[in-house]
Amino acid sequence: MTAVNSIIHSISSFVDKLNAVHRMLPWVLAFVLLLPLPQILAAVFNDYYIYLANKICIFILLSVGLNIVKGFCGQVTVGHVGLYAIGAVSSALVSIHFGWSFWLAFPIGILLSGIAGLIVGLPSVRLEGAYLALATLGLGESVRIMIAVTPLFGSSTGLLSIPEPTIGSFVFDNYTKYYYMVMTFAMIGIYLSFSILRSATGRAFMAVREDTVAAAVHGINVAKYKLLAFVISALYAGAAGGLFAHMPPGYIHHNNFTIIEMVTLLLMVVLGGIGHIWGGILGAIIVTIIYDQTLEFYFIQPLLFGMTMILIVIFMPRGIGGVIDRYFMTKKFMKIREENSDGTS
Amino acid sequence: MNKLYKNCLAGGLAGVMVAGMAIGAMAADIRVGITMRMISENGQKYGQMVMDEIDMINKSGGINGNMIKPTLMNDECKSDKGVANAIKLINQQKVHLLIGSTCSSVTLPIVDITAKASVPQIIPHSTNGKITKKGSAWVFRVPVSGRFYAGVNAKYVGENIGKKIAYLCAADAASQNDCEAMQKQMKAQHGSEPAYVAQVQEKEVDFRTHMQKIKSAGVDGILIAALAETMARALIQSYEAGIPASVRRIGSSSASNSPVPTIAGDAAKGVFFAAAYAAADNRPIARLFNEMVKKRYGVHAPDHDFSQAYDLVRIVEIALNNANLKLDSGSLAADRTAIRDSIASIKNYEGLASGPISFCAAATPQCRDGNRTAVLIAYSKGGKDYKTEVLARVTMPADFGL
Amino acid sequence: MALLDVTGLSKNFGGLLALSNLDVSIEAGSIHGLIGPNGSGKSTFFNLVTGVYQPNPGSRIIFDGHDITSSPSHEIGSLGIARTFQLLRLFSEMTVLQNLMVGYHTHVSYGFLTTLLNNSLVSKADAETADEMMDLLEFIGLADFAGMPASELSGGQRRLLALGRAMAMRPKLLMLDEPAAGLSPVNLDNLLSIVMALKEKFGLTVLIVEHILKVVMETCDTVTVLDYGEKIGEGTPEHVKDDHAVIEAYLGQEMDDEEIRAAFEA
Repeated sequence: MTAVNSIIHSISSFVDKLNAVHRMLPWVLAFVLLLPLPQILAAVFNDYYIYLANKICIFILLSVGLNIVKGFCGQVTVGHVGLYAIGAVSSALVSIHFGWSFWLAFPIGILLSGIAGLIVGLPSVRLEGAYLALATLGLGESVRIMIAVTPLFGSSTGLLSIPEPTIGSFVFDNYTKYYYMVMTFAMIGIYLSFSILRSATGRAFMAVREDTVAAAVHGINVAKYKLLAFVISALYAGAAGGLFAHMPPGYIHHNNFTIIEMVTLLLMVVLGGIGHIWGGILGAIIVTIIYDQTLEFYFIQPLLFGMTMILIVIFMPRGIGGVIDRYFMTKKFMKIREENSDGTS
Repeated sequence: MNKLYKNCLAGGLAGVMVAGMAIGAMAADIRVGITMRMISENGQKYGQMVMDEIDMINKSGGINGNMIKPTLMNDECKSDKGVANAIKLINQQKVHLLIGSTCSSVTLPIVDITAKASVPQIIPHSTNGKITKKGSAWVFRVPVSGRFYAGVNAKYVGENIGKKIAYLCAADAASQNDCEAMQKQMKAQHGSEPAYVAQVQEKEVDFRTHMQKIKSAGVDGILIAALAETMARALIQSYEAGIPASVRRIGSSSASNSPVPTIAGDAAKGVFFAAAYAAADNRPIARLFNEMVKKRYGVHAPDHDFSQAYDLVRIVEIALNNANLKLDSGSLAADRTAIRDSIASIKNYEGLASGPISFCAAATPQCRDGNRTAVLIAYSKGGKDYKTEVLARVTMPADFGL
Repeated sequence: MALLDVTGLSKNFGGLLALSNLDVSIEAGSIHGLIGPNGSGKSTFFNLVTGVYQPNPGSRIIFDGHDITSSPSHEIGSLGIARTFQLLRLFSEMTVLQNLMVGYHTHVSYGFLTTLLNNSLVSKADAETADEMMDLLEFIGLADFAGMPASELSGGQRRLLALGRAMAMRPKLLMLDEPAAGLSPVNLDNLLSIVMALKEKFGLTVLIVEHILKVVMETCDTVTVLDYGEKIGEGTPEHVKDDHAVIEAYLGQEMDDEEIRAAFEA
């Protein structure tokens, strides 16, 4: 464990130095470092990994959003893929049928997903635990079934030839170009999640998760924060959906939004660290890579995944993000202890 | 890691590398990528058969001394996985040829990918008409396209069964296609409207309400368009609802898959369907194939998914043998094009398919849907040792249903 | 003027009448005790005043001039009532400091939009709040544990944290629900002295619910006695101690002066 701790330590002290210069500096640096990733991947591996990087960015948006409502706010939701589907289908339909540009269709998908998030969140005001799980599961599956039976939404053939985004004459028609777009959105999503979670809103979410009665008497409008968490997560899912739909080859089918996808998403959040700020990001990266590297063993994959889930819940229930968080908590605790023993007491 | 182990490992690795380079220096591999739906028992067997056949080609000398190096991947009938597999095979394995896929919803997006990457793609099972209508010059279809089946079925049904038909349509792409096409053909050929249409889930389990309604509608026949297990369930429940055997059950193309008669048992008797291959086929080549499949994979009356996968390998073998392949590090694009052109030049391939398979160079469905012959098959006996009989054999014109 | 004015407070739970027509008036700046045997309705009173339950029609609760009879908990909290729970209800997975920062919620100066758009303002405001909360932690003796998850504190420390979290609200009225239960005499004395110090420093009004008489007698200015949901006595601790109805409720019988003194000094 000390090896891990020293890695975390060196990274965090480096980030602290950057933060001292300007608080946006770590973010700008991270963005700049990630820009040449497609070229690096193509050189070291091959173009397939650029496609994978795109997928990871989309999964990051999904996991970060899910982590906010489920990990931080503690609301049991298993309908998240339904919101992802709404974002994807709305953005796709608007571009295909009205011919609107991606830059108009994409926000519409996000907006509609946000509204759906509000609807999905309404049961959460009254329900908890298994009941809320059933309600959200039902809502999520209903979306998929609606898509499967409605010709307008693609039904069995799916939606084909969803147009690629363009800026003037620049078309995002290959995975390298698309990466620049999804990576930017993923970074914005991560940045906003940090802003939200490291604020009074984030603390209110956690308080709601820990104890709703105690939260309420301390001045927190529990219903409002539950709904806010659902809407925020839905906006993330809607963004992920729109980016997925317009990604080459521009095809979506109701099979992309099943319970299996939901479970994979849960695995990402749990492995990454549910309720920890790095949880969604780490989980998305690790699960996608593990899944990809084990593809040859296709006959064993479901077993592998199930076992990973079980092992993590037993041995590392806080996920990897939890290990990181625990490190920081201990560090801060030591620091405050030092300050106090030097200073006043 | 102790030193001895480390040394052995290093030595072993070095040995393998040298050997590999030696082999590589002698002849180059033809890399073939395969992505199929391998989540059912039969699905895995189709994949296994393709691999076994390729293995046998290699054992008897390969293609002009070059070995075929196949990579088999499972797409679980999911479009995003199929797309990922295709991209991986094209960019990582750098395949010369892509075989895929089983489900139409997976094949549809892959067509765009192979077209963009200029990689020839040959399809083992998908029947949705749109696949070849996209105008890709790189795609070839071995199975009979859904647009032909409905014509065959509608003709036979209208002439021999009646014009009042009920439709039970599952949500998967192929079944939807079959349902739509059949309704269209019944109208076009016989002027009849559907007596009842029900849309059900891909994996629906309860058809009782629909069966009751169908029973009271007094129809001549019921078209059940669904994947195999779902169809079997619907058949069983149609009898449980009391619909007599005189109301003929018509199956969509998945009716040819063995789970239908094995699960439906007696309920499968009399069910007929249009398919690309009948196990009851009398030709010697068919009998030999049936025996082979029984011996190797334990399936006693192979469906057209088996035969089409087999024909596909044979067609690929012919095309690879005829193509002028350089197979060096700079010739990937040229080799891919050569393979494409070689497949396109195949004319009148006679194999397990019920009729000849021919391709041509134009990027049109007429050229890319190589197989235009359907057989009408009925189950004369259901259960584990089911039996089939051939009712009729029909070759459709190349532009039928367009 | 009374800071908290409760009139005709009643509450039914199905067929059970937990509180019956209760009138209580608490003056600003005082320490008021609410005592009674188990089941007399003390916690119900707390829950009604803080909006956890809704009272029967006909009840009225006025706090600092506001009618909070049917207000939701979070509104009551923002008006200036803070409370602790018998079972503490700490935010276990959050650190000690974070627990207090949550208590401060109603005083946070920035809104959600600012959180999204002007993160540096949020960081600055949070840092200032954290400093203030650290001062509060110093005051109650938990400063050394600021970064520790609440779940890892000892029993006595958890009590202090609950108190600190309530104080973070900068309340006008602090309601403590059985703060003494299960505490050793040393811890209890510590807790009480902190409460008194807080009251002095922040000009609080305090309402303590207890069934251990010693606590109440030593700290309170006035005491209300409940039994089976009804008020059976009210006044200074001295006065209440000698009230026969009170004695009977607690001890169940008539006793002579020797036995009474012994019981109250236990």
